[in-house]
Amino acid sequence: MDGQLLSETFVELTDTMVDDFDVIDFLHVLTDRSVVLLDVSAAGLLLADPRGELRVVAASSEAARLLELFQLQNDQGPCLDCFRTGQPVTAADLDAGAHRWPRFAAAARQAGFAAVQALPMRLRDQVIGALNLFRATPGAFDPANVRIGQALADVATISLLHERSMRQSDTLNEQLQTALNSRVIIEQAKGKLAERLGIDMTQAFSLLRGAARDRNLRLADLAQAFIDGTEPLTGDAAARAPQRPGGQLRPAPRRGSRRRP
Amino acid sequence: MTVSRAGRIWALIAVQAARRGGDVSAADACAAAVAAVSVTGGWLAAAGDGDAVHLIWIADVVSDQLAELQLTLGEGPSLDVSASGGPVLASDLGTTEAAHRWPAFTPAACQAGAGAIFAFPLRIGAIRAGVLGMYRTQPGPLSTSQLGDALVFADTATLLLLDAPGQAVGGPGAEAGPGGQPADLALHRAEIDQATGMLTEQLGTGIADAFIRLRAYAYVNDLRLTDVARDIVARRLRLYPDPGPSQDGES
Repeated sequence: MDGQLLSETFVELTDTMVDDFDVIDFLHVLTDRSVVLLDVSAAGLLLADPRGELRVVAASSEAARLLELFQLQNDQGPCLDCFRTGQPVTAADLDAGAHRWPRFAAAARQAGFAAVQALPMRLRDQVIGALNLFRATPGAFDPANVRIGQALADVATISLLHERSMRQSDTLNEQLQTALNSRVIIEQAKGKLAERLGIDMTQAFSLLRGAARDRNLRLADLAQAFIDGTEPLTGDAAARAPQRPGGQLRPAPRRGSRRRP
Repeated sequence: MTVSRAGRIWALIAVQAARRGGDVSAADACAAAVAAVSVTGGWLAAAGDGDAVHLIWIADVVSDQLAELQLTLGEGPSLDVSASGGPVLASDLGTTEAAHRWPAFTPAACQAGAGAIFAFPLRIGAIRAGVLGMYRTQPGPLSTSQLGDALVFADTATLLLLDAPGQAVGGPGAEAGPGGQPADLALHRAEIDQATGMLTEQLGTGIADAFIRLRAYAYVNDLRLTDVARDIVARRLRLYPDPGPSQDGES
């Protein structure tokens, strides 16, 4: 466990009161850091949509099969159980748990995951989503890591909804809907950029994210400008497209004072 | 859960259109939404070029006043929806919060007879089709189920607006989802959004036209929208600009 990174992550996850708070970037930070800090292979985050479905809003790996995996969970799986009950759900060995969620287990195995830990994003009696940790090897999750994972999910939930929003469910619903629409704009921009440069979706996302941070823009605003044609992103393409397929985590410019050495 | 909600809502819209005696339209979606969500009235504004909006449906006199007030005063829920891309839910116009949010609009809206206002973006990511507004004479929030229904009505109205005559490029008929797929299910798959973005480059069009072409291709070839999108993202399929409705570029 990287103690310094852990402290920095908690600071970052509570730094949401700024005017230009970027929900989508914030949730990506949460999933990226979860992978590094909690010794897992991948992390994903689902949020509830008032339409009655769960939606993927962030994932540490942009692989389409991971997204497919999440979508399958709309039918069955530990993450859905976690969301419905508001309780953590563990599947330490998906082969052994196959009788509970046969389709989910098969899809997860196909994507290369053997164990899942789902942690609720919960504030008082309201469950807004779930943070899901995936590991390539079977076996029990380290209880200390699970506690830290739940703490990350709790802090993220509180930060996301902060107190003044919670008293006013109108505001909460407005913010969640806006975030979900932002996710769609970003996917559209990824497609346009991937096609323009002949790169894959993971590279396109890294490039968009890097460009947003360089310009100190919210990711969705940059994506919108790119689709509208007011932001061509040409300089960024040459500089970055080939080299950062994994979507490395870099602190946003506005958080520069907390940048790691 | 989603499919049955979408099916129920399409049925309500179809009944509304039949009662009116016309083809299913975005206005029918809005009229059905006002009845189903238990609000007093509403309005539908379609996005024009730039910041222009066209008021294309109103439920009653108060709805008309509310829509006009926002245009006149240059503030209000419709404008906030256009700016943020998310809904505006003002369940009590009598609060100081509402008064601060729209200093000119709020008192005028109360005077016109509104106690609560809700406005929903007709929007798929960067595709902006318009705004659906609703009001209640009495203050009070939408229930979770009413909010969920309102969002699905808004999704449906978005598709109907995009498919409206003058917009569609050989687009599918309004009544059916493409490839027989319930329309709202199609809205939230990352691959569909990614494929739409890719098509802006392949076709050299804006994002709304790219989405219409994507749906038209699925409809004409009787394919699921998700499957077409997946092929485009995997670069197994390309669409080409103008000559003919679409060509299969599979090699």
